[in-house]
Amino acid sequence: MTTSKRTSDFIVGLTVLVVTVLIVAAVLWVKQADLGGRQRHVVVRTREVGGVALGNPVVIRGVRSGRVESIALGAPGWVTITLGLERGVQLPPDPVVLLAAASLFGEWQAIITTAAGVPPDRDLRAAIAEARTQSDTPSDTQGDTLAGAVLPDIAQLTTVAGRLAGDVAKVADRVQVAFDDAAARELRESIRNFAHLSTVLARTIDVQSKNLDQISGDVHTGLTRISAAADRLNTFSTRMDSATSRGELQQIVSSSQQAARELLTATTNLRDMTTKLDRTEARLSTVIARADSVFMKANGTTGTLGLMMNDPALYQQSDSLMRELRALVADVKKNPRRYLNLRVF
Amino acid sequence: MTTPPAPTALSERLHERITALGRVTRQLIEPIGTGARFVRAVVRATKDTAQWLPEFSTHARVLGVESLPIGVFIALFTGIVLALLASYSVGNLVPPYFVGTLVQKTITLELAPVLTGLALAGRVGANIAAELGTMRVTEQIDALETLTFDPMSHLVVPRVLASALMFPIVVGMAMLVGLLSGWVASIVLLDISTPQFLKGVRLFFQPFDVQYGLVKSASFGAAVALIGCRAGLNTRGGAQGVGRSATRAVVISAVMILVLDAFWAIVWLSGRSLR
Repeated sequence: MTTSKRTSDFIVGLTVLVVTVLIVAAVLWVKQADLGGRQRHVVVRTREVGGVALGNPVVIRGVRSGRVESIALGAPGWVTITLGLERGVQLPPDPVVLLAAASLFGEWQAIITTAAGVPPDRDLRAAIAEARTQSDTPSDTQGDTLAGAVLPDIAQLTTVAGRLAGDVAKVADRVQVAFDDAAARELRESIRNFAHLSTVLARTIDVQSKNLDQISGDVHTGLTRISAAADRLNTFSTRMDSATSRGELQQIVSSSQQAARELLTATTNLRDMTTKLDRTEARLSTVIARADSVFMKANGTTGTLGLMMNDPALYQQSDSLMRELRALVADVKKNPRRYLNLRVF
Repeated sequence: MTTPPAPTALSERLHERITALGRVTRQLIEPIGTGARFVRAVVRATKDTAQWLPEFSTHARVLGVESLPIGVFIALFTGIVLALLASYSVGNLVPPYFVGTLVQKTITLELAPVLTGLALAGRVGANIAAELGTMRVTEQIDALETLTFDPMSHLVVPRVLASALMFPIVVGMAMLVGLLSGWVASIVLLDISTPQFLKGVRLFFQPFDVQYGLVKSASFGAAVALIGCRAGLNTRGGAQGVGRSATRAVVISAVMILVLDAFWAIVWLSGRSLR
């Protein structure tokens, strides 16, 4: 019995020892505990920690280089985070720490980067600058103290995106409200009016085209005459040198007078054409202005046409009035005595 | 004979109803009271170390060391199933290393303590209830009392303490084996690399996870042993009674494990986050 008890004691003791050692070793291994003091510690001062928790990785240029060892409230308004870095890790020059979400699944990490590598965000840079100012104070006796700031969480970004989506939805709702059936009817009416305006403009342009053809013909005639005048002037110049000796000066003068008259006629024709062109342009402007006025009145609800176009009740009443008048005329024809009662005495 | 007046009959019936209600209430509460008295007697008996200490290692070996294969066997397959379930459930929605996170959290916090506890409730609870029940029906306990041995310190305390100490050992071993089997299953069956799995394991690991599972399993061990001892000591009616006691011990132990599981979750996990 004593041997059995001793054996039991040994077996139980060995089991407890082995399992305890295994569990402790596994916990230390999974926790990546620093048993041999192989880590160096860096303190980070920041306003807040975001989603950073104990054990989150510390990353330098994308490489895991340590873990978050502790998080504690520091001086009023500040949080102190202790990072455990592997002994051989070299910090980048002018280092700062950015606390950021590592993925969409709640993982956070502390990124050690250079101050120049901080994203160009005004608030972020201000937070870093403020933390650096505090870290440089003489009262700071914690050795390696880095400035830290929290990058916006993905949840915050999605919140902002959600707010934007809500605003867009509101705008869409308002557009839907504004562009209702009445607006669609008005738009169709406007398109119809525009089609009518286009027809009028096409007709006007056709007329103006014909006028321009005539103008160009007149200009061509004028140019032909100017050319003839130039020819005559040339003849005149060639004959100038012998004019004085052969007594043909009088003929030259008369030819010049005739050319001047023809030139005057061409100029008059050109002026007439210009006047016609001005009148045509004025008529075109008038047509467009009248069309615009017509559209305004048609779209408005004060005029008769506008009311007729936009107010279905008025149209229905007019239609009803016409039907009643027809019925009245028919009834007068059928029963004139009911309405005309002539009495001589 | 005159008929009693109606008010008297009414008051008697009312009295009987109230008495019946009180009796039912007492019967419901009585096990709690007797159980509390039993626990108090066990606690008092722990002072008599000379009585229970020599028996401790024997019971620790029988209840704990010999239960290790069951715990390891359960954890082995639980880890494999958990890895596959995690991969199946989350699919491509989350990175593959979350399989490691799910396996680690589920094994250490819940499945290793509860599944091992339920298995040991059957083995240990039935063992204790049958052993003590047989001693009761064969009047060995009466003989011990005649010889001035306190059954509590001689029979109950070493079993309860051995069970409370050895359950965490078995559960701790189950945690290790479950994690290892989940790791191997992730590599072999899910094509998840070792760095990925370890990243997931370490991502949200807290020493509290292990502490929570071990403390919970210690409470399971104490409860299973106490229930088994009480069922065994209260055995009546020969071999049939021993069978009934063993069955009752297993059923109540299993229920109590789930109740304690909820109790510890409310006490320790409620309002607690990973930070």
